[in-house]
Amino acid sequence: MTTETAKSKAPGDWPTLLKDNSRTGAQGQRPARSPERAVWQFRAGSSVRSAPILDGGLLYVTSLRGVLHAIDVVTGVSKWKFQAPGQIHSTPSLSDNRILFGCDDGKVYALDRHAGSKLWEAATGAEVWASPVVCGGVVFFGSADAKVYAVDAANGRERWVHELGGRIYSTIYATERRLYVGCGDGKLYCLDASSGTILWSTPTGNSIDSSPAVVGDLVLIGSEDFWFYAMNTGTGEVRWKYETGLGISSSPAVAGDLTFIGSKDGFLYALETQTGHLRWKTAVGEVVTAPPVIGDGIVCVQAGGTFALDSATGKVVWRAALAGTVQSVPVLAGDTIYLTSLSGEVYALR
Amino acid sequence: MDRRTFVKAGCIGSASLLMQGLDPAMRADLTPLVVPPIELRGLPDYEASPLGMPGLYPGRVIELRDPNAIVRNRVSQPIVRHMLEHAMKELTGEKSSQAAWAKFVEPHDIVGIKINPSGAPACCSSPEILREIIGSVQSVGVPARNILVYDRYSFEMDIGSYQVLLPPGVRIVGIQEAFAGDAGYEPQVYCDVNFFGEWETRSYMASIVAHDVTKIINVPTMKDHSASGVTGALKNLAYGTFNNVARTHRAPYSFTNPLIGMMCTVEPLRSKAVLHIMDGMRQVWHGGPLTQVQDFIDQPGILLVATDPVALDTIELGAIETKRRERGAPSLWRHDPNSITEDNNDFYHDASKNLFFRQPGHVAAAGKLGLGVADLKQIDHRILLNS
Repeated sequence: MTTETAKSKAPGDWPTLLKDNSRTGAQGQRPARSPERAVWQFRAGSSVRSAPILDGGLLYVTSLRGVLHAIDVVTGVSKWKFQAPGQIHSTPSLSDNRILFGCDDGKVYALDRHAGSKLWEAATGAEVWASPVVCGGVVFFGSADAKVYAVDAANGRERWVHELGGRIYSTIYATERRLYVGCGDGKLYCLDASSGTILWSTPTGNSIDSSPAVVGDLVLIGSEDFWFYAMNTGTGEVRWKYETGLGISSSPAVAGDLTFIGSKDGFLYALETQTGHLRWKTAVGEVVTAPPVIGDGIVCVQAGGTFALDSATGKVVWRAALAGTVQSVPVLAGDTIYLTSLSGEVYALR
Repeated sequence: MDRRTFVKAGCIGSASLLMQGLDPAMRADLTPLVVPPIELRGLPDYEASPLGMPGLYPGRVIELRDPNAIVRNRVSQPIVRHMLEHAMKELTGEKSSQAAWAKFVEPHDIVGIKINPSGAPACCSSPEILREIIGSVQSVGVPARNILVYDRYSFEMDIGSYQVLLPPGVRIVGIQEAFAGDAGYEPQVYCDVNFFGEWETRSYMASIVAHDVTKIINVPTMKDHSASGVTGALKNLAYGTFNNVARTHRAPYSFTNPLIGMMCTVEPLRSKAVLHIMDGMRQVWHGGPLTQVQDFIDQPGILLVATDPVALDTIELGAIETKRRERGAPSLWRHDPNSITEDNNDFYHDASKNLFFRQPGHVAAAGKLGLGVADLKQIDHRILLNS
């Protein structure tokens, strides 16, 4: 893995969706006890539909009214904010001095992460809800116009564009040579990273909203057809699949020999990554659409409230009646947890 | 024409004692509340369309049944395609599906597809049916960019994953991002009434209904509703088009009758809603509209099509009532103080409990407002097996 957005300079950094592009979540972090107090609370001014990211003492949060906030994690005060022309559903990503995010105006924006000033923008034909991913100096992202884009990370110039068969809301998993992405046409695609050529595609039974994770020679992804799939990274052959009770728009998080995935049936599942055997499942709310994250011995997920489960047994360790969400993910950083909510609240809890 | 009108409750049959000045929540008796005066204001100078409710076929309801249309909670795309084609041809008498759709939409139309995502993911407008409706509208010559799939709350549409499930090019619009705010609503078009002493007494019409779309295809689901009795074509249109509607019910009382029907009379909503396609793949017989409890959700695989929302909801009301009777649940019409609970958990897991005294009479009340036929004897209800 050489994905650039995977590089965290400090232990608490969290520069992209699910912390790094291995989708490992917060391994090594230790939120094993319930947070007892709010260190600060910040109001984003409108609903938050994406996950926050953390780097260099700043928490970056996008809101539905098109604002990217950079919040000082010590004080909870906004350091700068950027007003985009459209709504933002995209989780931002960091790469070098840039912060990148997609917008409902059909563009991906790159800002100076320290000043909040715009560096470049890249246009597509429809809204961009996926998180941009950087690898080898190239930014990869899908758009609701059914196309995958590769643009130069330095200036946003187009490298290539490739059209798939449906809307794309899935965040790309990028390696040096290959890209993996789910699509509204129900297929998981593997593309050549240098050209966008389709290397293989494997159909599922319905559209894919989930973002893939890769572990060894397996690529893991959920589908709206209720099934969770493990496919061979080289061929797309289905190695195993596991059926949940409703559609899956949550994305998987992987730790050790376990893969964690939420389903709209309200359960969080722990599956053995190599076999798909169920280790445990726990009801954590009526509906789970957000991805889980993994801490030291626990797995956290936002579903109505925020839940922390023992990753070995699935037993609820603690829960907080905070931060109902559609797609947000708690950021676990040392003794602090950062949460965003559907109503637009941002919390630092300790 | 200025459609400003004042309608008194007595006009639609809510005879009751005058009990103003009391907080209904404090009363335990069954005395119906007086409906206060309701002011309706439509879009000025809007010319009513002959396609408006009750539409081209008053009193006609086409019901298609296929038990294979939904298997293990998955809807079959090919089967619902056939069901919809069959139903549309039966409704219109046309020989082709395209000709049937051409009676309702033209190539220059901006078509709004009003979905019901409020019970997502357990029971909401099926993406498989929406795909077929979109394809049918496109077959008439409407480009994808002129098709809007919409509802009030964008977060509920997100939970249903409609964005990814529908074809590229179609616009997917949540009128408002969360529960508060007037952005996205037309201030000139409203219903003004003070039911319980609420601070904001107006409910405004969504701007996309008032101005953007030229036709509306309504896609309700089949559900019990704790306040209105059922949520069908009428309620999906009314409470999904106007904001600030939760104020009409304060436990255990509900003014959904008469407001649902009255809202549907307001122009241009009445004229633009030309077709109603009820998704009965799943059927919620208790706990609606938001329940996720599968014990109360059947999967009969039904599709109903009509231009008359009153006739359609009358059939739905009968179906939900029948299902409740089969399962030993109290009638939707029963107003028993002992059935009322303030505990949501009780309501969601016990079919004998409810949060409100349901008001299924809102369907017949809408009929009296001229929106359609509520008398079962006059409804041309054609039940067809998909073949």
